[in-house]
Amino acid sequence: MICYSDLLAVAELLGKLGPRIGVGAIHAILLLGAAAAWFPFLWMVLASLKSNTEIFRYPPTLWPQELQLENLTTLFEEKPFASWNFNSIWIAIVGTLLTLFFSSLAGFGFGKYKFKGRTVLFAVLIGSLIIPFQLILTPLFVVIGKLGWIDNYLALFVPFVAPAFGIFLMKQFMARIPDELLDAARIDGGSEFLIYRIIIVPMVRPGLAALAIFTFLNFWNSFLWPLVVLRSDDHYTLPVGMATFYAVLIRVEYGAIMLGSTLISLPIIVLFLLMQRHFISGLTLGSVRE
Amino acid sequence: MAGMRAASDASLGPAFPETPRWWTRNQKRLAPYVFISPFYILFFAFFLGPSIFAFYLAFQEWTGLGAPEFVGLRNFLDLVEDRTFRQAVVNSAFYSAASLFVITPLSLLLAVALNSRFVRAKIVFRTVFFLPILTSTIAIALVFVLLYGTRYGLLNAPLVALDIQPIDWLGSKVWSKIAVTGLILWRWVGFNMIYFLAGLQAIPQHLYEAAKVDGANHWQSLRFITLPMLRPVILFVTVIVLIGSAQIFDEPYILTEGEPAESSTSLAMYLYRVGLHFLSFGYASAIGTVFFIAIFAFSWMQLRVLGVFRDD
Repeated sequence: MICYSDLLAVAELLGKLGPRIGVGAIHAILLLGAAAAWFPFLWMVLASLKSNTEIFRYPPTLWPQELQLENLTTLFEEKPFASWNFNSIWIAIVGTLLTLFFSSLAGFGFGKYKFKGRTVLFAVLIGSLIIPFQLILTPLFVVIGKLGWIDNYLALFVPFVAPAFGIFLMKQFMARIPDELLDAARIDGGSEFLIYRIIIVPMVRPGLAALAIFTFLNFWNSFLWPLVVLRSDDHYTLPVGMATFYAVLIRVEYGAIMLGSTLISLPIIVLFLLMQRHFISGLTLGSVRE
Repeated sequence: MAGMRAASDASLGPAFPETPRWWTRNQKRLAPYVFISPFYILFFAFFLGPSIFAFYLAFQEWTGLGAPEFVGLRNFLDLVEDRTFRQAVVNSAFYSAASLFVITPLSLLLAVALNSRFVRAKIVFRTVFFLPILTSTIAIALVFVLLYGTRYGLLNAPLVALDIQPIDWLGSKVWSKIAVTGLILWRWVGFNMIYFLAGLQAIPQHLYEAAKVDGANHWQSLRFITLPMLRPVILFVTVIVLIGSAQIFDEPYILTEGEPAESSTSLAMYLYRVGLHFLSFGYASAIGTVFFIAIFAFSWMQLRVLGVFRDD
């Protein structure tokens, strides 16, 4: 039987040995985690240059034995990979820009004004986070059908460009802006929208950067909804398009899937590396009380 | 830029461009409503409207053509009898429990390790841990199919080498859920870690220094400072993880398609199938309603604990 006092004794012993064992253990944990995170990714990148037979060869090879450049041809000539890229990129960019605009505007509205009904309206906003997308999947599909938006790109971003999460996040950033600054601009005759444009936007830039990458990632990886809405294969976004490789059971070009996915991952990884400081500070702002 | 130009042009009049008088007088009062209106317009049209429509459809039978037919509680009674539905509920509950009790603690462990002052190259580690969520599920699912391979998969390699019966990860009813959980774990641990990491970095250093002066060791600091101070973040991540995992779709859809024998079908997958393949809009809405009640219960409890509704 292990009882609580034994555990305490063990903890105390570990505490004494702490620094020495601790540092070793910490590094072991981190390296193990990093290897686990890195390995499937590395495997994907390397497999993008392999042929089907080599991917399934036993014993498996890590480095490609002979470079299979046909994967590139499969991707760009047999499938409209270029269109998928184009669709994904512009939808993610337009969707993100609109989201940034509407979120920061509403965040400004909630963060810097006192108005009638504010508490109730804010409760509705937070309450909306509780609606699971699954509840509305079918009826939203019906609404989109009524609007004539089946197979139309509008359906992929219009409903999502004023997300409660984004507004909540931007509102948190507003707290740092002194009210005196806004009042000074008002005395100078600045309109409320102008105040938003020339004072608020520059001051919440870190928040916008965070929301930008978060939103971009959401649009970019979005799979279920585009799968429901899109019909013709040159309208597909990248994730839906890549999934069609799975549907062809006769001849699945695994190397081409890997190559396509490697190419998909690159822009988002570069974006993340460029903006990760902002992203990480913004991502967590809602959770850490100041 | 435009604002600066306007300011320098206006040497005679007000510093900013003129706006209509009525608006000038009332804008401070009305502007917030205009600013927040896009959310409510989209929310009513695309979220609240469809939600109410879903609650209505849950009591109807409808395939999208003609008029819906009122069937009372039949959809819900059918759900109770529906073996696939019950299996999907069990599976989704499994994914949620695994996310809560395995993925969240692992994220916390990695964050605590990464936050240690003995660790160098933190940015490299952080980026590597974040890599999975940036990659496409489609391709990674395939990598996992190969890793899980019964005879030649890397995960079975030690068993094969020791001549032990290898695990049929994707073909067995017991292991398929665990295989899907493995993919979910790989994708989300690093992402959740970032929340914890930021929470850890927000803990004031002087608390640790004070504890050290009082003779506390590392474990005591962790137990009596780090964990209590991290409580709000832990609760926040718990909510995110529960809501997210209850809605899991991509991972099982791509990795196993619910096979074998629905043993890994998630609730979201089943709803998608019923609503958009079988076009049973009423029945799908009944599933959606059950979904909503579950998520509502989870979130309400936890948002209350978190105090998110307190507006300030």
